[in-house]
Amino acid sequence: MMDTIIEVIGLSKSYGDIKAVSDISFSVSRGEVFGMLGPNGAGKTTTVEIIEGLRTPDEGKVQVLGIDAGRDTRSIKEHIGVQLQSPALFPLMSVQEVIGFFGSLYRKSIPTTEIMKLVVLDEAKKVLVKNLSGGQQQRLSVALAFVNDPDIVFLDEPTTGLDPQARRTMWEMIESFRKKGKTIFLTTHYMEEAERLCDRVAIMDHGKIIALDSPQQMIKQNFRESAIQFKMKNAPGQSVLASLKGVTHLVVEEEDITIYSENIPATIGALLDIATHNGTDLSDLFVRQATLEDVFLKLTGKRIRD
Amino acid sequence: MLVSHYKQFVRDRAALFFTFLFPIIFVLMFGWAFGGSETRTFDVGIVNQDGSPASEAIVENLRAITVGEGEGAKRVFDIKEGDLESERNALKDGDLDAVIVIPEGLGSSLISETPVSIEIYYDVSQTATAQVLLPTLQQVLDGLERSLTQSAKLIDVRVLPIQSHELRAIDYLVPGILGMQIMFTGIYGCLTIIQQRQAHVLKRLGCTPLRRSTLVISELVFRMAVVLVTTALIIAVGRLVFDVQMVGSWPMLCGMAILGTLAFVSIGYLIAAFIRTQQGAEPIINIITFPMMFLSGTFFPVESFPDWLAPVVRALPLTYLSDALRQIMVDGAPLYSMTTDIAVLAGWMVVTLLITIRFFRWD
Repeated sequence: MMDTIIEVIGLSKSYGDIKAVSDISFSVSRGEVFGMLGPNGAGKTTTVEIIEGLRTPDEGKVQVLGIDAGRDTRSIKEHIGVQLQSPALFPLMSVQEVIGFFGSLYRKSIPTTEIMKLVVLDEAKKVLVKNLSGGQQQRLSVALAFVNDPDIVFLDEPTTGLDPQARRTMWEMIESFRKKGKTIFLTTHYMEEAERLCDRVAIMDHGKIIALDSPQQMIKQNFRESAIQFKMKNAPGQSVLASLKGVTHLVVEEEDITIYSENIPATIGALLDIATHNGTDLSDLFVRQATLEDVFLKLTGKRIRD
Repeated sequence: MLVSHYKQFVRDRAALFFTFLFPIIFVLMFGWAFGGSETRTFDVGIVNQDGSPASEAIVENLRAITVGEGEGAKRVFDIKEGDLESERNALKDGDLDAVIVIPEGLGSSLISETPVSIEIYYDVSQTATAQVLLPTLQQVLDGLERSLTQSAKLIDVRVLPIQSHELRAIDYLVPGILGMQIMFTGIYGCLTIIQQRQAHVLKRLGCTPLRRSTLVISELVFRMAVVLVTTALIIAVGRLVFDVQMVGSWPMLCGMAILGTLAFVSIGYLIAAFIRTQQGAEPIINIITFPMMFLSGTFFPVESFPDWLAPVVRALPLTYLSDALRQIMVDGAPLYSMTTDIAVLAGWMVVTLLITIRFFRWD
């Protein structure tokens, strides 16, 4: 049985004239990894911070662990772990001390040595925070979200700004948390991260949730077709490309063109014909399975990272 | 929480230097500049226009005032007599520290108990001299006058004992530097909170069950501890190197130091309520602290400032803190003589706190 651990109903929040979050509703079940995906400024962080009790919503209801957020935030905070986008650490304390300090703020906490092992920082335990590498600081910041052995962990873009190697380490960490049965609420603007880690993903854009499902379902629902991606100079008009055989949908971003087709051989054949016929420069062509990135592209008409 | 404050503070070398070493260097520097542990002898010219037994008694008594005991006893005033013209010229040339003019008819006035004024000339630019010499002379003359008018035995005048610590500039300076340091420790405290807010540390702590009141109180307790350690250090150095006495009660001194800390921390928080960044706050802090340091009688007595500055001087909290600390350390003054000082400091604290509560933002 899945029991609901976070419940959000009709949540809205504005900053001045800008509607950061507008009337969103969703729920998160115990033990799942829930992802919130969207470009910068989509309202992910605002949503997370309202759930964490850092901000008060203009409208709507938020329940965390069955407690109204904004009523008894202290007892909620006792049972959640938070990693903010900015590391926000004490530069002049050592790894060990920072973890010990944060542990001391909670009624129950996991021993410091265990936490350090969890985030692979046990060799750097005496190093001052200011001397840690970016990836290490990020791992420490994530570690602090676990010191109180929380029921829910919020990770706000935990891999942003990390190199691929560090990102992979972080993913492995998050997967090991999932194995422990923690509920994880993750925001990210990396598609592959959401696809790999999340049980369910909410896609956010302009303060609204425009899709919510498991990554596989989301792809399956939106695409029976595969994607053909290529670069083309002086491409013919969209209508010409759209009328090619098998094409269901296409996105043109200057030279970069993605065509979704139910009949790959036919579409490619037709495409090559155009290229030879018009003498246009066709390059970097490849065919792939549709991904969350494509879903996002289809739903919003833009790429997530720019 | 406290431990974390302590560790971060100890590892911040610059902060350590400014908090502990800086005031000590100040004490040493000024102590030596103003003659160090040597008790000064003042060269005083006397123009005796009267020549009565009473005026002679005054001169003799000034001459007889000593500091120290037994063999080490030393005259405070080195007295030369002469006419008005020559004595005043000597004062202008810097050969004399002050000139006392005893007017004609002083003796008879005292007997008939009519008011008479003794004029004292001194060099205004010599502030260190003036601040020590004038009150001393005043006190001596007052005492002499009292005993002269009350008793017919003119020669048998009681000499007021002048304690050596009342005579020296360093005794004036040490409480001033102490006050200055309390101001710096208090106001600079706002940088911590501004930095932490800027780096989102406050936000991160906001995600934990830690209460904001706990955060603020621990910061305050920490500042007070720093101030008390600084106080002890400054007084210890003053005592060991310059033999500066601490006459008043320790609990009162500590209490006053803590009240001062609270007042200046409040001012710091007021800055934090309006200034978002460390880069923005630093010049503001300097604009507030440096003029205050000079205008509040840390180094020169407040009386030596021109009249038009008086309202400013009288509005500054440091003026009152320094005054209170000085009263405790130098005079061992009782609490009721400091009611104005306490009221002004408490007033500053309450007003700035109210404004801070209205405008302060945590994120």
